[in-house]
Amino acid sequence: MWRATIKGLIAHRVRLALTAMSIVLGVGFVAGTYILTDTMNRAFDNLFKQVTSGVAVQVSGIPKFKGGSSGMDAGPAERVPASLIPVVAKVPGVRVAEGALAGYAQLVAKDGKAVTTGGAPTLGVTATNDPQLSGVRARTGRPPQRAGEIGIDAHTARKYNFRIGDVVTVLLQGAPMRATITGIFGFGSADNLGGATLTVFDKQTGQTALNGRGKWDTIDVAAEPGVNAKDLRDRIQAVLPAGFQAKTGTQAAADTSSDIKRNLSFFSIALLVFAGIALFVGAFTIYNTFSILIAQRTRELGLLRALGASVKQVRRSVLAEALIVGIVASGVGLGFGFLIALGLQGLLRSFGIELPSTTNQLLPRTIIAAIVVGVVTTVVSSVVPAMRASRVPPVAAMRDTGPAEYEGSRRRVVVGSIVFAGGVAALLIGLFAVKGAAVVGLGAVVVFLGVAMLSPVFARPVSRALGAPLPKISGISGKLGRENAMRNPRRTASTAAALMIGLALIGFVSIFSASVKASASAAIERTLRADYAVIPSSFSNSTGFSQDVAKQLRATSKFSSVVEFRQGVLGYKGSARLVMATDPEHVSNVEDLELPSGTLAKLGEGEVLVRKTTADSEKWRIGQDIPVVFSRTGKQQLHIVGIVKANVVQSDFLVSLATYDRNFVSQLDAVVLVKTKPGTSEAAARAAADAIGKRFPNVKVQNQAELRDTQAKQLNMILGLITALLGLALIIALFGIVNTLALSIFERTREIGLLRAVGMARRQVRAMVRWEAMLIAVFGAILGIAVGGLFGWAMVSALGPQGIDRLAIPAGQLIGYVVFAGVAGVIAALGPARRAAKLNVLEAITTE
Amino acid sequence: MDTAAARAEKAVKIFGTGDAAVRALDGIDVEFAREAFTAVMGPSGSGKSTLLHCMAGLDSLTSGRVFIGDVDLTTLGEKKLTLLRREKVGFIFQAYNLVPTLTAAENVTLPLDIAGQKPDPEWIDKILDSTGLRDRLKHRPSELSGGQQQRVAAARALASRPEIIFADEPTGNLDSRASAELLEFMRRSVHEFGRTVVMVTHDAVAAGYADHAVFLGDGCVVDEMVGPTADKVLDRMKSLGSD
Repeated sequence: MWRATIKGLIAHRVRLALTAMSIVLGVGFVAGTYILTDTMNRAFDNLFKQVTSGVAVQVSGIPKFKGGSSGMDAGPAERVPASLIPVVAKVPGVRVAEGALAGYAQLVAKDGKAVTTGGAPTLGVTATNDPQLSGVRARTGRPPQRAGEIGIDAHTARKYNFRIGDVVTVLLQGAPMRATITGIFGFGSADNLGGATLTVFDKQTGQTALNGRGKWDTIDVAAEPGVNAKDLRDRIQAVLPAGFQAKTGTQAAADTSSDIKRNLSFFSIALLVFAGIALFVGAFTIYNTFSILIAQRTRELGLLRALGASVKQVRRSVLAEALIVGIVASGVGLGFGFLIALGLQGLLRSFGIELPSTTNQLLPRTIIAAIVVGVVTTVVSSVVPAMRASRVPPVAAMRDTGPAEYEGSRRRVVVGSIVFAGGVAALLIGLFAVKGAAVVGLGAVVVFLGVAMLSPVFARPVSRALGAPLPKISGISGKLGRENAMRNPRRTASTAAALMIGLALIGFVSIFSASVKASASAAIERTLRADYAVIPSSFSNSTGFSQDVAKQLRATSKFSSVVEFRQGVLGYKGSARLVMATDPEHVSNVEDLELPSGTLAKLGEGEVLVRKTTADSEKWRIGQDIPVVFSRTGKQQLHIVGIVKANVVQSDFLVSLATYDRNFVSQLDAVVLVKTKPGTSEAAARAAADAIGKRFPNVKVQNQAELRDTQAKQLNMILGLITALLGLALIIALFGIVNTLALSIFERTREIGLLRAVGMARRQVRAMVRWEAMLIAVFGAILGIAVGGLFGWAMVSALGPQGIDRLAIPAGQLIGYVVFAGVAGVIAALGPARRAAKLNVLEAITTE
Repeated sequence: MDTAAARAEKAVKIFGTGDAAVRALDGIDVEFAREAFTAVMGPSGSGKSTLLHCMAGLDSLTSGRVFIGDVDLTTLGEKKLTLLRREKVGFIFQAYNLVPTLTAAENVTLPLDIAGQKPDPEWIDKILDSTGLRDRLKHRPSELSGGQQQRVAAARALASRPEIIFADEPTGNLDSRASAELLEFMRRSVHEFGRTVVMVTHDAVAAGYADHAVFLGDGCVVDEMVGPTADKVLDRMKSLGSD
């Protein structure tokens, strides 16, 4: 029996290799994600270890809230007062103690544009006086020593062609600063800090530039020779007031690194979701290939049974085949993971997201995950085909039975409908009741399974309808292509199902993003009263910008209202929530907050306006105090004075600037809205705003139309990235089409030989195969778009209260996807079509 | 009868090389008369199927020439051979003669559809009538008996009015009654419709329906017979040391 299994594998090696491709790609995606994120994590670990290598103990404020599991950064903890430095310095064993500060500082490149990163911060830091204390050291030149001098990191210097002696502009929390570059810095062996740009100030300049207000982020301590870091930490902790902590340098490095890693963990989760999708699609391909192979081997299996093989043995033999394919494919996929990791990195970079890198990390976890995932997917997908194989009766060996003709079974319809309905129910429960991504995801998977089960029922009529014009267009090739697509609905359907999944998700994302666009656009029109919005110039560096922008706008006297908005994260019941701050007195001039109850004027310190949807779900009332926690100030009670309906403010809480100022370390504006003074011409107002935009290259000035455009662009970028990540799932589905066609052609060798014998030209044979592929692909695409539409509708309905209140169907785009799928199907058919056309006529008609 | 419908001149076909080389056709010269029903007989390995394949443009000769009418097949490339098969040759095989996804009627007009020609309705009607399958035309092959399938295949071979129809053991899978119906149909298509049919067979009864019989042995013509009957053919086969 084992010999038969091995021989079977060898006999079908090409087909199995094609099948294995789908597992290779899926496993490669999983492995690639792990390799990429492990490499990134290792890079961060190394960096911080190097940077703090000379620091024995570090003193810092204890953050009261770290952002929970959301990946949102709740901002730094309270800073350390300068008065603590001499206290720490006096602790026995301390050789030197220095304050260090980090904050927002963004360089302006030589072309006048702000230097941006792919999502990493643009940092300003203070130089250390003691060389042992910092891993950040001047490689060439010297550290900055006075106001008007800075050092920059080697990566930025190289990338933007900065040299020692250059005079550059640095954008800060306060007014921009002009400074001469005196040194190029490196971080141990690295050129920059995980993609962040760095500007180094001397201590005194740094205090002003980074808005230290006489405080430091940390006090870094170097120990006297022979002093144990842990002992020193304990002695320092003993002298610290409440709210401050001492950590060893090693611990501090690990903590910083793990904070960053936690903030980036959403990243690997997101990538793993896409890898899961790819594997799910791969499972369909495997299922399909094994089903076809079993159908084609009916006689052979019958013979095995006739020769005495038991049902169990046949089943085991098929599963063993799958197991071997799974192991081999997973192994290859693991190697492929390195390529995928590179590809993902390139893809993310092209979307402006840069990750730090080091030598590729292949952890044991990655190897185990890849093999387990690959083998389990392959074996599970082949369980049904194996059962079918074991049901082949011995008499099949004698019968000249071709692959069984499909008969629409009532059971399939019933079971499929139940599964489909169950999936939809789970989806809706997930969206509306429990509001959990896991339930929604599970619902989606079950919906896909249900549709896949039901799709054979549609395959024949839909292919018939879609293919109706083919005989007119392409004569007999079109007619036969259509007939072939209809002849085995189960095969057509399960091949199409693989493509359906990818297109459903792409369709869903398109519909969702079009709906977001339409809703946001309508909301801007409805509630925005400002003439211009000043926003960060780059999407990936949206930390914010200096308050001086608003100050200077006011100073032009061209605007009747200049209202700034700041954004932060606070904790409520342990989860991270967005909080927005603005000027309550003037906000109504630029934005209609749609305040059905409560008042704006009363929004004083410690008071809050809450969003209606949140208030409804949390059952908050006006006059109630709610407990929140800020990273800097810890637990606070906020008093609700009003409920806001407007969704333009995409946050749960709205507080005054004064409240914000008290609770957050960083004080950057996220957006400034302005209204032109009556009597000032539009041109004059715009010119005045643009002039300020020029002085602050990290902002741009936009009118309402431009603002809508920017939002659309940002959404399109996200849509593009998601589509690209789904690309692999689509490629796997196309492999599935190649595979099915190749197997079908093998099965129809004699038929094709007959057609060729009675005069069909090779060109016509190729066309016939291409039409069949196109019909399968378009069928899959239409199913996918339909399911995507269902998902889109459900999602938009669920998010209606959150402001996504318009369902927009981008018809042109969706039709484009279907056309694209058809073309992709034709491309997938190229190989099989050529193979079919090249069949030797004589051999084909004489084949048994 | 002027020129032959098809002929072979010094046709040689060698399979394999060196010691394993087999001369399936060993310089054979043969002519098939126009508007006649010719049976090609011979034991297994006599080269009768190879002859048919080469004369129909399905296989190429090692040396020598084959003609359909005036056209020398050995000078034609793959595309021209396909066109020739489409326009001048009809086929009936032993088994698997029909495209399973097409109805009986569609299978009959298949060569015309491949050529993108409009069928002549009168002609098609005539051949469909003579198959005796009027009421089964909308059925797919899987719903027809073996004999019915072969008659549809024969009708298809007639549809494009080819110069010559090659039949390769057409009765090989049929019972005697179905065989008789098919052979009768083939004979009528020669005598009523003026077609030319060349049939390879090792069944003496089948050969009895033909106007001529050609006997092959070791890749050469060893004998010919005009007006064969089953008994005469059987005797001759015995004397040739048949299978």
